[in-house]
Amino acid sequence: MLTDRSWFTIAVALYGISAVYSVLLWRRGFREDNRVLYALLSGGAVLHTCAMFQRGFALDRCPINNLFEASMFIAWTIVAAYLVIGAFRRLRFLGAFASPLLAAIGVFALFPMLDHRGPKPEFSHAWESLHAASVLLSYGAFGLSAVAALMYLSQEHDLRFHRARAVLALMPPIQRLEKVISGLLAAGFVLLTAGLVIGAWWLKQAKGYFVSDDPKIVWSGLVWVAYGVLLALRGKLGAGGRRFAWGVVGAFVFVLLTFWGTNLPSPIHHP
Amino acid sequence: MSLVVLGLSHRSAAVDVRERFAYAEAQVAPTLAKLRDSGLAREAVLLSTCNRVELYVAPVRSVREAAAELREFLVADRAVSGPLGGELYVHTDQTGVEHLFKVACGLDSLVLGETEILGQLKQAYDLALAAGHTGRVLNKAFQGAFHVAKKIRSETQIQRGNTSVASVAVDLADKIFDGLSGRDVMVIGAGDTSEKTARALLGRGARSLFVSNRSYDRAAALAAELGGQAVHFDGWESEFARIDIVVSSTSAPHHVLDRPKLERLLKLRAPRPLLLIDIAVPRDIDPEVRFLDGVYLANVDDLQGIADEHLRNRRDEVVRCEAIIREKARGLVAGLGFPADGMRAMLLDRPRGA
Repeated sequence: MLTDRSWFTIAVALYGISAVYSVLLWRRGFREDNRVLYALLSGGAVLHTCAMFQRGFALDRCPINNLFEASMFIAWTIVAAYLVIGAFRRLRFLGAFASPLLAAIGVFALFPMLDHRGPKPEFSHAWESLHAASVLLSYGAFGLSAVAALMYLSQEHDLRFHRARAVLALMPPIQRLEKVISGLLAAGFVLLTAGLVIGAWWLKQAKGYFVSDDPKIVWSGLVWVAYGVLLALRGKLGAGGRRFAWGVVGAFVFVLLTFWGTNLPSPIHHP
Repeated sequence: MSLVVLGLSHRSAAVDVRERFAYAEAQVAPTLAKLRDSGLAREAVLLSTCNRVELYVAPVRSVREAAAELREFLVADRAVSGPLGGELYVHTDQTGVEHLFKVACGLDSLVLGETEILGQLKQAYDLALAAGHTGRVLNKAFQGAFHVAKKIRSETQIQRGNTSVASVAVDLADKIFDGLSGRDVMVIGAGDTSEKTARALLGRGARSLFVSNRSYDRAAALAAELGGQAVHFDGWESEFARIDIVVSSTSAPHHVLDRPKLERLLKLRAPRPLLLIDIAVPRDIDPEVRFLDGVYLANVDDLQGIADEHLRNRRDEVVRCEAIIREKARGLVAGLGFPADGMRAMLLDRPRGA
């Protein structure tokens, strides 16, 4: 019987193959149907889900107790959301932009020191699990909106400077991509807000205060403000949405680069 | 059992010959009945379009006899007098099936890969089917042709990308806007290509059209023809706030729309994309505007370049399409028990007294 890490490793290998295949699609100007890409990511998602279930059943709780599990959960959110969105043929090319991200998060998650088996954070109650799951789901939604934003930027650039390539590409119109970006961002923001409110409520019950100077709490507040500002400025960042798309990509890069670093010094999240 | 295809097309005959052989829709069923009553055909379908007139026949006698007899029938039925060169051609059995498949896929069309012919072929077949002029051979051949056309459309790029400036402009709009319904279009300068582009945009669901021209009468005439609204040439900027797509083709020697003017006009619009199609020479729109956020500009060279690239891509796909057609035709011919070859020939006039 394979271990959860083995299932996940094979899933990451499939994400890696889809990332390579995405480069080929990109070089051909996204002219070919991307059923192969969808099939590869579906295969990866099935194995990924097996890994999540195996780890979850072994722990008897939602598997989000260390950085390996959290990264695995975020990547799973992204791939699951993609499989739903990719059912619409015109949006299936999101996979070409999602697969490199999935492969990168997957490889990062597999670093051995991240699967820390020491004391678990206090996620033993349903509310704590709900807090963690909501927050991680929101990062998944932000990740996918960043992927849609990359797709937007690529197609928008082609519409300006490589029109033949843009016209022949089997990509959705950029105005539809704008709606997808905004929708995912709004969904992520709602989930993050819910997750933070639940977290604060739990903190009050457990410790007697709503907020503290815990690095992860401060950082989460900053992320919430950043996405809130981004949503508030939506529509004021230019008619074409190019600056908005760059903002969405930039915000998620910030999350990716700092999520791991702020988790480690947090006594609440990394006891 | 066998199949004979006899006819003429834009490849073999000039328009003055094609028009002499053409059938009106109402004439098709009586002609098919007459053909079958004459004892020349067990089954028959007649395709008549502006680019081809073709008889698809499961003959009573051998293909060689049938070819000559069908030729005489067609010439007599259309009362065509005077000598014919190599305008009429015949394809039999395997080559006949391959020809039918090529026609269905648009490989034999004037515009390579066009899809209108498939609809016309379906219509011709449905008409013959409804009148009881088809049987096992033609039913299988035509169903096979429709299946192959679908396969080629989904597996190759022969039908991808438009090849005219007007339709490429619409393709470009399709890549920017989430649907063209609800989009407002302004035509500045009522030229031929801008008219075609406006028609294509309206055909794809654009909501309204404003036409502005130095001659207001010309603008009014075009607006009336297309169901739009004429605007005085010095007043088009007042309508700009609602416009999503501008098609410009004036004969002005300078830019009608430059960057400072557009920046000023953009402030009057809600933030949303703007597509500028400049088909004038010299150009009407300052190329610098393409650097403005949300503004997409294409000039006539851009559009013609895309159309040419589409055509090149289609030509590159012909070999793949022909391989699929050969394979599918072979399967169908084996199933129907045709000889595994066929004849492709031009039918010349018989020598006098022969």
